[in-house]
Formats: sequence, structure tokens, C-alpha cells
Amino acid sequence: MRILVVGGGTGGTIVANNLARRLSAEIRARKVRLTMLSASDKHMYQPGLLYVAFGQMTPDQLYRDQASLLEGSIDFHVDPVEQFHLDQNKVITKSGKTYEYDILVMATGSRIVPEEIPGMAEGAETFYTEASAVKMFKRLREIQEGTVAVVVGVPHKCPIAPVELVFGLHDYFKARGIRDKIKIKYHYPIGRIHTIKEVAIWAEPEFKRMGIEYETLFNVSEVDVENKVVRSEEGTETPYEMLIAIPPHRGMEVIEQNNLGEGGWIPTDRFKLTMNGHDNVYVVGDTTNLPVSKTGSAAHFEAEVVSENIASIIKIGTPVRDYDGKVYCFIETGHDSATYAMFNYQNPPDLKPPSKPMHWFKMAYNQMYWTSVRGLL
Amino acid sequence: MTTQTETPLDAMPNEDLQRLVEFAQLVTAGRDAMSDEIVTRLAGAMSEGLNLLDRLTRNEGLMHLLKVLDRQDTQYLLIALSDAIHAASQEIPAAPPATGGLGCMLRVARDPGTQEGLRLLSVFGKHLSHSMREQHRRGG
Repeated sequence: MRILVVGGGTGGTIVANNLARRLSAEIRARKVRLTMLSASDKHMYQPGLLYVAFGQMTPDQLYRDQASLLEGSIDFHVDPVEQFHLDQNKVITKSGKTYEYDILVMATGSRIVPEEIPGMAEGAETFYTEASAVKMFKRLREIQEGTVAVVVGVPHKCPIAPVELVFGLHDYFKARGIRDKIKIKYHYPIGRIHTIKEVAIWAEPEFKRMGIEYETLFNVSEVDVENKVVRSEEGTETPYEMLIAIPPHRGMEVIEQNNLGEGGWIPTDRFKLTMNGHDNVYVVGDTTNLPVSKTGSAAHFEAEVVSENIASIIKIGTPVRDYDGKVYCFIETGHDSATYAMFNYQNPPDLKPPSKPMHWFKMAYNQMYWTSVRGLL
Repeated sequence: MTTQTETPLDAMPNEDLQRLVEFAQLVTAGRDAMSDEIVTRLAGAMSEGLNLLDRLTRNEGLMHLLKVLDRQDTQYLLIALSDAIHAASQEIPAAPPATGGLGCMLRVARDPGTQEGLRLLSVFGKHLSHSMREQHRRGG
């Protein structure tokens, strides 16, 4: 049995490590072969980028060697896939090699596409890459007064990021003693301040308490870099001194190029996590088109289900679990407090009051992540 | 008799209340003394510790070694090994430097200690080769 995992992010790494643990006897007996193909030899802890943007972490703290995170029985190659031939159960990589499989796990992730909104790439700060997060921090240190506008593109990774960003900005400028000289204005594309109703209800009074202005139904149409104005499709505009954007995201180009899913998102069965029409192809993490958050947490819970099911198929011939849509998101509500949102397909989140111990839990998780991707937590 | 306005705290002895206050003060003091950096370092050490423990406990060779080391006769061997290390560390620096040449080689070869040592090494080598062949045969 040949299992091929494509993608070495959170979802792919957890699937591969869990499978290596669950199928250790079969791998040792050479009945199962487990291979991972990734585009990079490094693994990045992506949620840490927000801390980099506020100077609370340095980029080097976000990386580990991918090989060091993987079980020794996983055959790991840095060789991104360029062609998927699902009808022939094989993929072809950038180096020209062909990998055949019996079971394929797609965990290719997502990418930012600020260039899809005129002016956004040039005029807005973001924190979704190492370079842009460092650049954003440098800009934050420079600014002395004026409007800091936050705009949100859709769809985007980590739905909690926009509110965490705003809370972080409030605390950052307060700590610098210039909060009264800075106007923070938050813009959100739908008719409330967050896509998750319960988060919106909870965050609105927090925004008011912190003196954060907000405008809903603001879908960014363009960024006028020269005049420092951001405009919406709804016809409104906001002048700014500094613009921070949560850029729109898409699935990886290779998914679109191989016509596997519109926008790079693969049509996925919400319970089985198999690709629609392909029972031997599993999809985890950002790559799915599921109506759940594109977060490491969703990828983690999906990966648990996928690895358990693949292992049980090999051992007893049938899957044993369904994915219930579980997501667990920490919400940093500033630089020293946090809360969390946990929800699934059936149950909406019930947000608790923010606290310092919860913030420390998040700080601790930033380190425990490496234990988590190794398939231990 | 308990009245309606009485709370569980009212019914608590003063000493217990005092202990509760002290405990709360301890928690508050610990909380005030903590910082993000301390939490990060502690969690980092715990995370690495867990990973190390996980790797060690799933290392088949190491677990087998621990099982062997757990046997009483192997423990005697370990004690003997420790004694040998200590004695060698004392003897080697005190011994005169080797003069070299065939004569020196012959003197060393004639020494019963050298012969004992070579016999020990050859017995160890014989068993190691046998075990490695066995592991290879089983597909290890």
C-alpha cells in the first residue's frame, strides 16, 4: 500500500506522522510505504507571523527543519508536485519524477493574492509572509499619528486574525503612549464586524470600549496609494496614514492549474474528507472547500480524522470516523489577555471573558505546536 | 440554626478562610511574577522534553537496552564497567609512554591483562556479529 502526502504544512505533517505511528508495524514489514512531497525543507509556524508584526517574536523563532519534525519511517522529498493524474493514481513533480499511490492526501495549503485588488500589494501592510510581517512592524514603529485603517479581503486564512490585529494595534499604540493620536478604523466586508455571529456580538462592545471605529459592508475595490485612500465596492472610502490588509486568499496555483477545484479549493466531502468523486484522495487543511475556518486548528482536527481513517482502512478495511467540523481558535484580545472560540458544524462558539491565563495558554501553545505537528498532542 | 442570609463562607472557620486568602495570595504572587517570556521558555522546554521522551520511549533499540540493563547480571557488568573505567583512568596517565617498536609490542602481548582484554573483546565481537546477522535475517 503506497500512501502519498502532498504538502508539508500543519495538516500534511500531522497526517504523515500520525500514519507513521499508527502503521509502524506495517511500515516495518514493508506492507505500507509512506511518502511526503513538499515544496520546502522548512516548516513555518504561521500564526507566529502576527507576533512578528508586533515585535513580539523574531522570524527565526517560527521555523524548524521539516525533516526534523517527521517520523524516521516517512520517505520525505523536497520536490513540489506539478501534475496530478488522479485517474491514473500518480503525480509528477517539478524534478520530473513520477510518484504512484494507492491513497493520496492533499494538503497543499493556500496563498495570499493581494494583487487581485488594485493597489493593495503596493499600498498595504500585511503579516502573512515573513518579509511583510517584519516590514509591518517597522512601519508600526515609525507611525506617530493619523489613521491606521484595517481592511479585510475574502476569503482569508484565520478568520480571527482581523479582530486579533485590531486588539493588538490598540495595545501596541497604548504601550507607546500615542493611542490618543492614532485613530484605528476597521472595515469588514459583511453586515457585521465578524463572519462568525457570536464573535461579532462579543467583539462589538470590545471595539467600543477601546474606541475603535468600524465600518461594515466594506469590500475593498482599490487602494489609491498616491492619495492614501482605500475605496470600497459599496462606494465609500477611508483616507489613511497606514493601511493594514488581510489580503484575499486562494488555494495553491497547482490545484487551479490541474483543474482540481475553483479558486484552488478542492471540493471535499465534509464528513469523510475525501475529494468528491475520488474515494482514495483525502483533502485536509486550507485546501478543502469546506465551510470551516482556514486555520491550523481545523487542519489539525481534520488530519486526526484522515489519518485514523486511512489506518483503519488498511487494518480493517473501513473508515471509522467522521469529521464534525471542529475548530478551536485562540483569540488574543491584546498583548496580555486572550480567549478562545470552539465550534463545529452543529454548535456555534460560546466565547468566554478574556483572561491572562488564557493568553499564557496561547503563548505556551506557540511552543507546544512543535509537539503537536509531530503527532504527539 | 442557619438563617437565609447566611452564606457558605459564614459557616467556614476563620482558620480555613485565612488559608484560602493565603492560597489566593500565593496564586496572585505567582501570576504577577510570570511573564510571556517565562511561559514561552517553560513551554518550549516542556515541548522539547515531551518530544525527546516520545522518541526515546518508541526507540526499539533503546527499550531493549533498558530491558537488558534491568537484569541483575547486567547491572553487575555495569558496575564492573564503571570500576574498569575508573581504574583505567588512574592507570593510563601513570603508565610510562610506550617506547614503540616490536619489543614493546611483544611485551604488551605477553601481558596476561592484555590477553584477558582481547578475549573479552573477541567474545563481545562474536555475540555482536551473531545478533546483527539475526536482526538482518528478521528484516530489521
